Amino acid sequence: MSEADDDSVVAISPGIAAVALFGVLAAAIAGAAGGFPEPAGFPAEASIVHNIGYALFDIELGDVPAEGFLAAFLIIAIALDVALDSAVYLAKRETDGTIISALTDGGRDIVDGEVAGAADDDSDTSGVGGTDHGGDR
Amino acid sequence: MVPVEYYLLLSSALFCIGLFGVLTRRNALYFLMSVELMLNAANINFIAFSFQWGNLTGQTFALFTIALAAAEVAVGIGIILVLYRNFGDIDVMDAAAMRW
Repeated sequence: MSEADDDSVVAISPGIAAVALFGVLAAAIAGAAGGFPEPAGFPAEASIVHNIGYALFDIELGDVPAEGFLAAFLIIAIALDVALDSAVYLAKRETDGTIISALTDGGRDIVDGEVAGAADDDSDTSGVGGTDHGGDR
Repeated sequence: MVPVEYYLLLSSALFCIGLFGVLTRRNALYFLMSVELMLNAANINFIAFSFQWGNLTGQTFALFTIALAAAEVAVGIGIILVLYRNFGDIDVMDAAAMRW
């Protein structure tokens, strides 16, 4: 088998895996079809948004049954805060103790509105901004 | 009313499309988008069964999943920035070692 054939097999196998998984899931769903009762739905006069709010804050005022999620709400708030902090930590780059991440363009320093090194770097003329290394892969 | 099986089929298809993207894409941004597709497939299941049983727990949980997905994207984009700085590219196959 040639190298080109190997590449085509590598390219096709994820597709086959995904389609096979869909086939298995569809077969399982088809096997369960008819086993579900008619959807209960929600009362026409009930406000879904209000009831979600009651569920989030664990308030027993809703017309639609739901569990209380106050603890989960607080934990998610902390998780989002941690994610924000970690994103800032990952994005920042310190030089001599100074955070300069807000003044960069694709990882290059910006000094006085100009990209540092852009004037003397003529090698990067491939595209606008020269940040399309990732490409459409 | 639409039977729940159709929602399950939709969610399965979305999950498999996301899986295909995860397996084939090397660009980290497309990778993140594919993971989002898989998370949204789970959300469709939550909401479909919430409607099926007339209980809002599924819809509320889907909101939490969306919040977790936002947190994941925030960290993911931070990692992509670091990837770009250290490798000059956002190809996930470039970062083959645990250190550089």
